[in-house]
Amino acid sequence: MSFFSVENLTKKFGGLVANNNISMDVEKGEIRGVIGPNGAGKTTFFNLVSGFYRPTSGKVTFKGQTISGMATNKIARLGAVRTFQRPALFSDFTVLENVSIAQHLNTNASLLNAIIGHDNHREADSLERAIEIVDFLGMAEDRDTMANNLSHGLQRQLGVAMALATEPELLMLDEPVAGMNSGEKAVMVNMIQKIRDKWGVTVLLVEHDMRTVMNLCEKITVLDFGEKLAEGSPDDIRSNRAVIEAYLGADDSVT
Amino acid sequence: MGVDTIIQTIANALVLGSVYAMVAVGLAIAFGVMQMANFSHGELFMAGSYVVFVLYTLLGMPFLLAVILAFPIVAMIGLAFERLIFRPTRGNVLAGFMASAGAGFILQVLVGQQWGVGLMRTIQTPFPGGAEVLGASISYQRLLIFPATVIMVTGLWYFLTRVKAGKALRACAQDPEAAVLQGISLNKMTGLAMLLSGGFAGVGGALMAPIIPVTPYMGHTYAVTAFVIVIVGGMASIEGAVIAAFILGFIHTIVATLYDSVTATMVGVLFMAIVLILKPTGLMGRVKV
Repeated sequence: MSFFSVENLTKKFGGLVANNNISMDVEKGEIRGVIGPNGAGKTTFFNLVSGFYRPTSGKVTFKGQTISGMATNKIARLGAVRTFQRPALFSDFTVLENVSIAQHLNTNASLLNAIIGHDNHREADSLERAIEIVDFLGMAEDRDTMANNLSHGLQRQLGVAMALATEPELLMLDEPVAGMNSGEKAVMVNMIQKIRDKWGVTVLLVEHDMRTVMNLCEKITVLDFGEKLAEGSPDDIRSNRAVIEAYLGADDSVT
Repeated sequence: MGVDTIIQTIANALVLGSVYAMVAVGLAIAFGVMQMANFSHGELFMAGSYVVFVLYTLLGMPFLLAVILAFPIVAMIGLAFERLIFRPTRGNVLAGFMASAGAGFILQVLVGQQWGVGLMRTIQTPFPGGAEVLGASISYQRLLIFPATVIMVTGLWYFLTRVKAGKALRACAQDPEAAVLQGISLNKMTGLAMLLSGGFAGVGGALMAPIIPVTPYMGHTYAVTAFVIVIVGGMASIEGAVIAAFILGFIHTIVATLYDSVTATMVGVLFMAIVLILKPTGLMGRVKV
C-alpha cells in the first residue's frame, strides 16, 4: 500500500470526461509533479485528489484510508492539506496570526471547550510552532505584517506556511509558482525543497511552469486529454516522444 | 435649545446607540460567518425581553439575574436556528431568507399564544428614579444600558482578537475556504456565531424590556435598524457595526427631538444611502453590498 495512491480515477461532467482512469502512487517523502498542456485535466485531477470533487469512479487513498469525498477539514486533520492558486489567507490578520490559526490535528475540542476551556499551554505551543515555520521559510521580518500588505509572492509563501501549520504529512500545491517572477519562483522552489528535507513532508504539485517542475520534482506524471500520458524522472519525461508531441504537436501533423 | 436639552439628547443618543450596537453586532457576526442574513434577528431581541418578562415579572427573580440568563437562553434559540435553518440552507441565500423570516413569524406566534398578542406587557423597572445632570434627567434603567454595552462589546472584542476560537471565527468570516483548510470546522463556527448573535440580541432585548412596550412584534423596528446599521458599518464588520450604531443612535435621537420619529427613521435610511454612494463597502467593510 502506497503512502498516497490514486486508483482508476475517473471524473465526468455530464458527457465530458475530464479525467479518465488515472492511477498513480506517491511514496512518502517524494516531490511529485503533475503536468500537462492546457485542458489536460490538471485542475480537475487536483480537485479530485484533494477531496474537493467527488470522483465518478475510482478512489484516492491516503495512508490506507479512502479520502475521496471526505470533508476538507477532516482530510486536513488526517494530514493531507492543499493550497490554492489564489491566495487563500486571512487578509486582516498578521502573518503570524495567519499561521497560528491552524487547528492541530490532535485538537478536537468541542464547541464548549473552544469557548471556555481555551488551553493556554496548547496556544503557546501553536504560537511557537508558527514562529518556527515563519522564520524557517525566511519570512521572519514580515511576522507582524498584515497579510493584505504582502506582495503576491509573499502571499503565496504565506499560503504554504499556513498549510504547514496544520502539520501535514502530504502537501498538495496548486500551481505554486503561478504568476510569479523568476526571483519569486526560485524562492518558492527552494522553500518546497527545504520543507521536504526538514520535515519529511511529501509534496504533490500541479504546475504549468515546466522549468520549475523539472528542477524540483524527482518524478513527474504527465496528463493529456484527461488521461495519464507518461510518468518518470525529469530526464525520461524530457526525452519522451509522446510528451513532446502532446506539448508541441506531432511532427507529421505539421505538413 | 437649552443646555439641558442638549445634554438630554446626547444621553438619549448614547443609550439608543448602545441598544442598536448590541443588536447590530449580533447580526454582523452571524452575517460575517454564515454569509447569510438572519431575518429573525428581531425576534431574538423580542425573546430576550420575554425572558425578563417571565423570569422577573412572572416568577419574581432578580432583574439582573434575568438579564444575565437572557444571554444563554436566547443564545440557545440562536443555536437552534443555526442547526435547523442556516445549516440546511447554507449557500442558498434565498432559502435562508425565507426560512429565517418564517422562523421569526413562528417565534412571534408561539410567544403570542403563550402570553397574549394585543396586551402590551409593561414591566416595572427595578431601578426607579434617575440621575440629574445639568438639568437633564436620565432614568437609572436607561443609564444601565450604556455600561452594559461597553462591557459586552469589550468582552466580545477580547474574545475575537485574543482567544483562539474567536480568531477562528474571524478567520471564517474572512475566507471560509481557507479556514476549512486550516482544520477549522465551519459547522462549529457557524454554531458559535449564532450563539453569540442570539446572546447579544437577547441581552439587548432584556435590558430594554422595562423601557419599551413588550409585544411579540416589538423586534421588527429594531431588526430593520440593525440591518441599516450593519450595511452602513460594512457587512460583517464588528467595529463598523458599533460605530454605525452610535451614529444612527445620534441621528435618530436628534431628528426625533427636533421633528418626530418617523422622520428620524427616514433620515437614517437616507444616511445609509449616502454612505453607500460614497463608499459602497460601508464604513469599515471590504465587501460591496
